[in-house]
Amino acid sequence: MCGIAGRILREYGQVGADLVELMGAQSHRGADSTGFAIYSDPCSVGYKVRLMGFNRKNLNVDLDEFRLTLKEHDSDLLEEPLIYETEEAHYSVRMLIREPRHLDKWIMDADQIADRIAVQSVGKSLEIIKDTGDALAVADKHQLRTIRGTHGLGHARLATESDVLPDASHPFWARPFPDVAIVHNGQITNYYTWRDRLESVGYRFLTENDSELIAVWISDQMKRGLNQKQALQKSIVEIDGVFTYMISDLNGIGFAKDRFAMKPLVTVEENNELTAATEEQAVRCVLPDALDVINYDGPSMVRIWPVNTQHLKAA
Amino acid sequence: MKEVEIIVGRRSIREVNEEIKAAVLSGQSVYVRETLSRHNLGVGLPASAKVRFEGSVGYYCGGLNNGAILEIERNAGWGTGEGMSDGHITINGYAGMATGASMLGGTIHIKGDSGPRCGVAMKGGTIIVEGKLGYQSGFMSHAGRIIALGGAGVSCADALWAGEVWVVGAIESLGVDTKIVEPQPEEVDSVESQLSQYGLEDSSREWQKIVSGERLWYFESREASAWLMI
Repeated sequence: MCGIAGRILREYGQVGADLVELMGAQSHRGADSTGFAIYSDPCSVGYKVRLMGFNRKNLNVDLDEFRLTLKEHDSDLLEEPLIYETEEAHYSVRMLIREPRHLDKWIMDADQIADRIAVQSVGKSLEIIKDTGDALAVADKHQLRTIRGTHGLGHARLATESDVLPDASHPFWARPFPDVAIVHNGQITNYYTWRDRLESVGYRFLTENDSELIAVWISDQMKRGLNQKQALQKSIVEIDGVFTYMISDLNGIGFAKDRFAMKPLVTVEENNELTAATEEQAVRCVLPDALDVINYDGPSMVRIWPVNTQHLKAA
Repeated sequence: MKEVEIIVGRRSIREVNEEIKAAVLSGQSVYVRETLSRHNLGVGLPASAKVRFEGSVGYYCGGLNNGAILEIERNAGWGTGEGMSDGHITINGYAGMATGASMLGGTIHIKGDSGPRCGVAMKGGTIIVEGKLGYQSGFMSHAGRIIALGGAGVSCADALWAGEVWVVGAIESLGVDTKIVEPQPEEVDSVESQLSQYGLEDSSREWQKIVSGERLWYFESREASAWLMI
């Protein structure tokens, strides 16, 4: 049992605060870890990168080594990185980098040191922020409420298939596709079958978490020519297990649900906005006056909610 | 009978439920307001209770009901009336997944559509759905009756045992080991009699009564091919 949430604002605004509300109301669905994928103002040059380091005693050494991988691919930091650290061993870093010559090749090199410092997200707009603890603890630690943007996802994790680790938290980035993230409630039963197939064509996974697979699987299907809706529909047939997942990119949020209709999703879709969560009571924390909700309770469901890209460009 | 208002808001559900129970035990009807779709409201109420819920409720409202009369103004979340043994629950809107799961008795009246697996593993009682019956409703029901007036979704009555599912309108597909049988006139009278309590009787309806195919589970089937249906 995990809790997921999605939010699209009709104009640039306090999407971080809304996602914290949605996830705070669903902490009982899983307080092992909480994470957020937020689409803030897109950078005109380079990429936003979120990192997680696993031993803050080696912070400087590991960051220097990471920076070397950038330089080897004609990239570098465009500004001083922001470092979020506490008394825990792990720490998070936000940085802006110049565009590497080949993003996928750079990520492959950067992943060589992923046991010490791991890339959590890369995108023009996307930032993935995740940590152990419930929504309020993670929000305070990473100043989530102050992050503004157009849309985003949230996840509260009850670990069932892999360890409770900060980097095993959701959302997952669709490595190496920039600006694609996923949150998932469920279990994928043919995970290793698909992971083997995707690894055999060069994809790489940093965790043992089955949800990481879906993000890459969908992006790979789209790279092979399917549109997003077709890829979502195909996932219902090809991916076994029980699941409700939401996948986000610069253009909006997509959703798919398995053939057995085991995992809920409730939305309010009004005024060109989306508020989505596993539980209706979470939606009502953000929209207490909303008259009615849509229950996506049936089997084999797919839906795409677009973001107003005019506002994204204007931000 | 005097009706007392109880506000939910962000209060502890245990505290709210204790107030509801105390009110009904002292002979008052209750109107529960500002529900905000919170979970577990009105669980385990005694027979004397008459409780209305403003707006929509979350999961498990009226669970383990033992004779209370409950009314939900709008939608109900998952597991409404789960395990109830007696009483009545009216849901004026949509009813989420597994409404009436494992119920033993009493009646649930859904004025809108039902979610998936409505009446899953029910062991008695009646569920009336004025709208469409959701995916795989009646799944493995042991006894009791589901009546749907607006058709049924995919996998209707999947693997039901001794329960009955009555449908008017299109059935998207039947579940495993089920069959549609011609109902006896006295059975139709019994269903219409139940519906007449809600002003829903209509003698012109064409009923489809779904019962077990009796090839699986507790029917000592020796027919190996039957198990390939699953």
